[in-house]
Amino acid sequence: MSANFWTSSHYKHLLDQEDVDMVNPLDKERGVTLEDFKLIKMHMTNYILRLAQQVKVRQRVVATAVTYMRRVYTRKSMAEYDPRLVAPTCLYLASKAEESTVQARLLVFYIKKLYADDKYRYEIKDILEMEMKILEALDYYLVVFHPYRSLSQFLQDASLNDLSMTQLTWGVINDTYKMDLILVHPPHLIALACIYIASVFREKDTTAWFEELRVDMNVVKNISMEILDFYESNRMFTEDRINTALQKLTLRP
Amino acid sequence: MGDGGSGNRGGNSNNSGGGSNKPEWLQQYDLIGKIGEGTYGLVFLARIKSQTNRGKSIAIKKFKQSKDGDGVSPTAIREIMLLREITHENVVKLVNVHINHADMSLYLAFDYAEHDLYEIIRHHRDKVNHSINQYTVKSLLWQLLNGLNYLHSNWIIHRDLKPSNILVMGEGEEHGVVKIADFGLARIYQAPLKPLSENGVVVTIWYRAPELLLGAKHYTSAVDMWAVGCIFAELLTLKPLFQGVEVKATPNPFQLDQLDKIFKVLGHPTLEKWPSLANLPHWQQDVQHIQGHKYDNNSLYNVVHLSPKSPAFDLLSKMLEYDPRKRITAAQALEHEYFKIEPQPGRNALVPCQPGETFVNYPTRPVDTTTDFEGTTNMQPPQPSQVTSGAAVSGSMPGGHVSNRSVPRPMNVVGMQRMPHQAMQAYNLTSQAGMGGGMNPGGMPMQRGVPQPHQQQQLRRRDQMGMPGYPQQKSRRI
Repeated sequence: MSANFWTSSHYKHLLDQEDVDMVNPLDKERGVTLEDFKLIKMHMTNYILRLAQQVKVRQRVVATAVTYMRRVYTRKSMAEYDPRLVAPTCLYLASKAEESTVQARLLVFYIKKLYADDKYRYEIKDILEMEMKILEALDYYLVVFHPYRSLSQFLQDASLNDLSMTQLTWGVINDTYKMDLILVHPPHLIALACIYIASVFREKDTTAWFEELRVDMNVVKNISMEILDFYESNRMFTEDRINTALQKLTLRP
Repeated sequence: MGDGGSGNRGGNSNNSGGGSNKPEWLQQYDLIGKIGEGTYGLVFLARIKSQTNRGKSIAIKKFKQSKDGDGVSPTAIREIMLLREITHENVVKLVNVHINHADMSLYLAFDYAEHDLYEIIRHHRDKVNHSINQYTVKSLLWQLLNGLNYLHSNWIIHRDLKPSNILVMGEGEEHGVVKIADFGLARIYQAPLKPLSENGVVVTIWYRAPELLLGAKHYTSAVDMWAVGCIFAELLTLKPLFQGVEVKATPNPFQLDQLDKIFKVLGHPTLEKWPSLANLPHWQQDVQHIQGHKYDNNSLYNVVHLSPKSPAFDLLSKMLEYDPRKRITAAQALEHEYFKIEPQPGRNALVPCQPGETFVNYPTRPVDTTTDFEGTTNMQPPQPSQVTSGAAVSGSMPGGHVSNRSVPRPMNVVGMQRMPHQAMQAYNLTSQAGMGGGMNPGGMPMQRGVPQPHQQQQLRRRDQMGMPGYPQQKSRRI
């Protein structure tokens, strides 16, 4: 909440990719692979987004909720913290943190509407209990900085703030939440990577502008590569594979 | 922070939460008693048991589950969220967060502060027959501004500054250090999701900035500076500067009386001095003829008994500048000449460094030792032997307060709400006790029903029984 990212808990708690990619031992015992782990988190990101569209909260709330969910799984197992409950609860908590509180009963209503599957069915009481467990798991650090904030400034500065560039970049940023980038990189670098991708796609020459910025272009390019890799592999993420991964969580080791 | 790593790993609620069954995290404290109450829950005084910091006093704010079945209150969430990010000597320190899964309650543990400006002002007005010494006023103000400057430079607006939210540490390493408390209403002001005024926030109106009273939709850090100005004046005169009578209605009624109180002292605002006034809804609509020029003259110096040429008055009038864009900022105020001339402000605001200066021993907070963490009160009346006075709380106590020690009284710790107008009765009562008879320097309208001597006797007795003229406070917080 402090406006200064560099003094924030978010900055102090940025993780290395290896730490984010550690599958919890409890989940490992159940046969969950790193691939499964990523797949489930991506699926839950989509779940949060769909739910958010139903209850009509803004993208920032979605982004905060997804960040909470991803932070939780750097510390807790999916076996103990069912993603199908953690995802809606993170949206619930984020809506409070971002000052657009959504009622728990409304979430429960839309969960039932979105998923007929009993495994997704949770009641108000479950959400309220999980809310406290998530607060604990997050160690009460709730402030999250997002790439959206720096985006418009950057685009304006680079004279790229036309509608088509803005929309494309915004969309790419939304997609980055399907990955763990927000846990690893400062948000402004994620924003720059998204601008880089969008400008290449729209064939805008931004070389000079990027050179003037005092940022490590290697990091920006690496983030861009990760995003492009994700788009590449995204096509192979089928419903079946997600369900198989989720099923492993219920297996006894 | 918290005990996620120890007691409740995995989040299993391992105790039933009954009154006798102490949750694991609670065993690290000795509970002394209840020191405050609000709609969000209760505040307790406790001691740390562990070897490190043994005996250190902690204020524990317990948040109830909200009644509407909607989990942890958003107020608690925002307070934790903010406090977890900020560290400053003049901001209250959150030392721990605890969760009791059994009854779904949330506890915030703070460093305990023995005093607050409300109680300090009240003590001078009611018990000590003189004003707060200049060194103390200046040191309190400087530290308040110092904390506020930190918050504002981190884009945080407090929005609910008032004497009871400004704590002062009791005896110990941090004696006399100011701590800004109660961040339940605090906000970042960068890209808020919706206009802040839509939250239907209701806070004490006495410290509310004129732009808000006139219907401004967005808060700026200048609203906090207005409140600081009001508090500064109150430290000087021991009376709230603008004691308007609050209109109670939802969600955000027009507070005519409060504006009238302000205009009466500062003169009517004009479009020349405050151009954006024209855009404020209530001004535009000329609700109840607020554009009429009833009061022309600024009589502030008369009210606060300061020479118009003194640095103190200059600073005060810059804080009470109508136009929020021209109002002095916390950073500018810290550089003001007032703080450069003698006496210079110090870290221990309560004890002047100059030898020979007298200082006041402020009373310690009353503790209700009959209430446990569940908020259940023992039905048996407190016995004198239960009185925990000297032993329980650090800080010396002047005579006459000991009897209050064990008695529940609406007290203020980490942000309790007070009811302005009931408190006003107490002020008028005390204008006799503390300020000497009929003195009414600000030309404050006297309240209807100023107590007659015999009534006063009665009220005094109630005071001694723990009801100093105002009822158990009820919060109007959302």
